[in-house]
Amino acid sequence: MIIRIVKIAKEAKAELPDLITRPVGRKMYERTAEKIGNIDRDETVILDFDEVKVIDSSFIDEFIVTLINDSQKKGFFLKLCNVSNIIEINIESVFQSHSRYNRRIAIMMDDLGNNNRYYIGPLADFENDIIDYLRINRHATIDDIVKFSGLNDEESEKTMHELVDLRLIRFYDNKYTNV
Amino acid sequence: MKTADEKILVLPDRFRDPFLFEGIISMGGEFQRTGITFDLSRVGFMEPYSMVSFLLLGRNYLRESGEKIKLVNIPVKLHQYLARMDFFEKDIFEVPEILNEKLFLKRTAESRRLIEIKEIPNKEKKSIKVIASVIALFRKRASLILKYWMSESVVDYFVTVISELCQNIFEHSLDSGYLAIQTYNTGRENIARLVISDSGIGIRKSFENKENMSFETTSELMEMALTMPISSKRPYGYGLCQVSTIVERLKGGIYMRSGDASLTVLYNKKERGASYIFHKNGLEYFSGTQISITLSSK
Repeated sequence: MIIRIVKIAKEAKAELPDLITRPVGRKMYERTAEKIGNIDRDETVILDFDEVKVIDSSFIDEFIVTLINDSQKKGFFLKLCNVSNIIEINIESVFQSHSRYNRRIAIMMDDLGNNNRYYIGPLADFENDIIDYLRINRHATIDDIVKFSGLNDEESEKTMHELVDLRLIRFYDNKYTNV
Repeated sequence: MKTADEKILVLPDRFRDPFLFEGIISMGGEFQRTGITFDLSRVGFMEPYSMVSFLLLGRNYLRESGEKIKLVNIPVKLHQYLARMDFFEKDIFEVPEILNEKLFLKRTAESRRLIEIKEIPNKEKKSIKVIASVIALFRKRASLILKYWMSESVVDYFVTVISELCQNIFEHSLDSGYLAIQTYNTGRENIARLVISDSGIGIRKSFENKENMSFETTSELMEMALTMPISSKRPYGYGLCQVSTIVERLKGGIYMRSGDASLTVLYNKKERGASYIFHKNGLEYFSGTQISITLSSK
């Protein structure tokens, strides 16, 4: 499912091209949550930020972080597309803060970001390598990950489990796949 | 007509940068009498931080005494500039000298390297509308304001900074504040300065009931707020930290003053490996938090 943020913003009568402040984030979240209310487990929701220039940390906290929490509870996946440089920087900063004080969060991107990665969030280099591996190879078993990463069985399973929990990769039919 | 206890203070020409303006704040003790008049004849120039702080100073006095400070002998150029910045529209000072309408600076496209002083309310709903309108106006004038630094991302960076700092006013200060932007030249240096200031409770008081925070001086707390994701209201925050990250990318400077302390961060010096964070404590008390973001180019 593709959610065009501009469309939601217009429906919510939010001022464009910049989406800022907590109340705007909350309003946008409510409308988006309505749209994805009946989404199937494992389905991917793409948040398309085309024509949006800036989103600030308050908006990110109320909109994106809340959607990530929902995706973890309800089992769907989230992905961003058409994010500007500053949107990426601001999301990264909010995710860093969350990870420092609360729990680690991250989100996939459809395109390669300015951070030269396909996600935003504080992942270790070996986790980044696994994300890239899955992007290229589409799927992998634990044995593949052990061979590729040099981690042992236990470490590999733990890492893959964490990436699934973060909703950055899928686990289906004993295989890990990219989102 | 002068009253018996009316006092005229000739203000020195200390409105050219935030550091010089300390000279005006430190005269605080002398402002404590009613019927005060400021003679501005020696003031040649007012940059945005000093102008907004001066406005707050007048507002504090008005709130405490119920009286407006009178401004006299305002040099014509300064009078024109203050009128252009909507300084007098705030109705904080008594200004007996009327500027001839013919002398008003025209509000042409060329004179729009600025955002006139805007009041940022302390109520969330009202504030959000004002912030959105300020950002819309900034986007319209960005090519003039940021002429020497212009790129799409610099404009977006500034939008983030304006948004984060303005929200701090209604989220933390418990008072309304002011915003102003101006690009100007001093010698061969071009300066773009964004000022967002309030006369609320100040950063130290807003963190008063926060547990697990360890700091000795207010300037130390200010540095923590700029470099770590802390918040006085929530378990963690982003605003000032985010502002600092962006200003670092732009190699700009931050001057932050709250209560009796100030912190100066000069990111252009960081690149050269020099000291770039400067603390000052024990300054004359001035309520609220005042922040100036500066870009400069030669």
